Amino acid sequence: MSTFTDMLWVEQRKAIRSKIPLFTALGSLALPLGIAFLLFVSRNPEISRQLGLISTKASLMAATATNWPTYLGLLSQMLAMGGLILFVLIISWVFGREFSDGTLKDLLAVPVPRASILLAKFLVAAVWSATLAVLIFSLGLLMGALIQLPQASNGIILQGSARAAITACLVIAVMLPFAFFASLGRGYLLPIGLVVLTLILANLVVIAGWGEYFPWSVLGLYAQGKESLPAISFLIVILTSLVGMVGTYLWWKYADQNR
Amino acid sequence: MNWTIETENLGKRYGDVAAVEGLSLRVAQGEIYAFLGLNGAGKTTTIRMLLGMIKPTRGTATVLGKRVRLGSREPWAQVGYLVEIPHAYPELSVRENLEAARRLHPGTERKTVSQVIERLGLAAYADRRAGVLSQGNAQRLGLAKALLHNPQLLLLDEPANGLDPAGIVEIRALLLELTRQEGVTVFMSSHILAEVARLAKRIGIIHEGRLLQEMDVHELEQNRRRRLQVRARDIETARRVLSSAGYPTEILPDGILECTQPSAIERPDDIASLLVRAGNPPTHLLVEEEELEQYFLRLVGSNKEEK
Repeated sequence: MSTFTDMLWVEQRKAIRSKIPLFTALGSLALPLGIAFLLFVSRNPEISRQLGLISTKASLMAATATNWPTYLGLLSQMLAMGGLILFVLIISWVFGREFSDGTLKDLLAVPVPRASILLAKFLVAAVWSATLAVLIFSLGLLMGALIQLPQASNGIILQGSARAAITACLVIAVMLPFAFFASLGRGYLLPIGLVVLTLILANLVVIAGWGEYFPWSVLGLYAQGKESLPAISFLIVILTSLVGMVGTYLWWKYADQNR
Repeated sequence: MNWTIETENLGKRYGDVAAVEGLSLRVAQGEIYAFLGLNGAGKTTTIRMLLGMIKPTRGTATVLGKRVRLGSREPWAQVGYLVEIPHAYPELSVRENLEAARRLHPGTERKTVSQVIERLGLAAYADRRAGVLSQGNAQRLGLAKALLHNPQLLLLDEPANGLDPAGIVEIRALLLELTRQEGVTVFMSSHILAEVARLAKRIGIIHEGRLLQEMDVHELEQNRRRRLQVRARDIETARRVLSSAGYPTEILPDGILECTQPSAIERPDDIASLLVRAGNPPTHLLVEEEELEQYFLRLVGSNKEEK
């Protein structure tokens, strides 16, 4: 356990000392602020008239999120889409930077179990992502209150918060396998390219009707409030996460490391 | 004998390319072994195989009595290493980088970080971000990480890279002190023979993935080609006199008479007497030893010719 806490100290120190937490926090704030701005514009015709194209988008947004239940649903969907991209950026940095910065070799011939090093990395990426999810959702709630959306009640807020929290957990689970791609691609490019491809694929799979079985579609379906997601969908998400972590471990343990 | 490093027919192929082939070497405890080769000769690949970072395609490597396996936790508690460019986490300070390295070696005391900072002359830079260090100080930080946990064995890939002449002398003294006083074994790679000849007890020369020659450092002196250089006012006469006395010579383009006959090199005074008696005394007489780099290149070059 002490080696794991040591590894955790190392990983958190690397993360905190870098500028990446600040950048990702700023990136995450942009999501709820953007939605709130569009809703604000749609509800103020004088401003809307001056903004042209933005006002059209704002009207579309306003049609989707007219009250607290629909607005909270929109926040969850935003977590599913934007959150996935943001969280993959984080895990790509946590794993890929060891390759890009040439520091991987210092983690290889050491008496610490490889699993401790990797678990600490996964944990830091997950906690960091969860913190950003809380930040995004909290700010979303604040924005909703500021623009005075109708139909506020404790029950609705609680229900929306629970959906957002589970969506964030699903996003974190399906983000973990991107550690494998960061290791395989020995840097950031492969996972970042793949997450864009995955999002496109996730939409196509939903259109084809198999969304319940594709882990990266499951989170979108859940965030949209699809009631009848079968248990197998959640099981697939958990399995995907585990396979990603085990794959990363095997790769770090058995692949030739030339960098 | 228990060898600190022992490899048996170690090899690594990437497709059709053999990076290292049939490498069998032994390094005794407490010695400095220099692994010499040109760029791309297979030095780093060998060091990575010794550290279990690359899986050999054939053969075995044993380090401190443990068979090296990919992803294994042994014997790394007793091994310090520096492979290629000494990268560090650029956003962390020198001290934080060393603290991270300390935590990767459980049981290493907290005070060792300050001690190694002092030992490697990094005190003035301890709180500076590693990303802004000069190449020389980055190299010192890499060496500090290797030495931090007081290992029994140091595997150092080009340890003098980026160091200024004073730094090279300092590191050389440090390595000698570690081997003499603490019995540390050092396996270091280099592409500069002159640099390792002052430090190593044994030298292995690798070229195109194969171990060409292994020798003690005093054998190196014997193996180097020596020649006697003679200048005289009448170089043609001097050549004739020496030739008739049984010393074959060659006139070099710069007008120097060169003789590689061992008896002439051993007794240059005889040559001088011969020339004086012939009325053509030498104006210059020099026993020149082949430069280390020339010797190294000759060795590597002759291997090419054999191929």
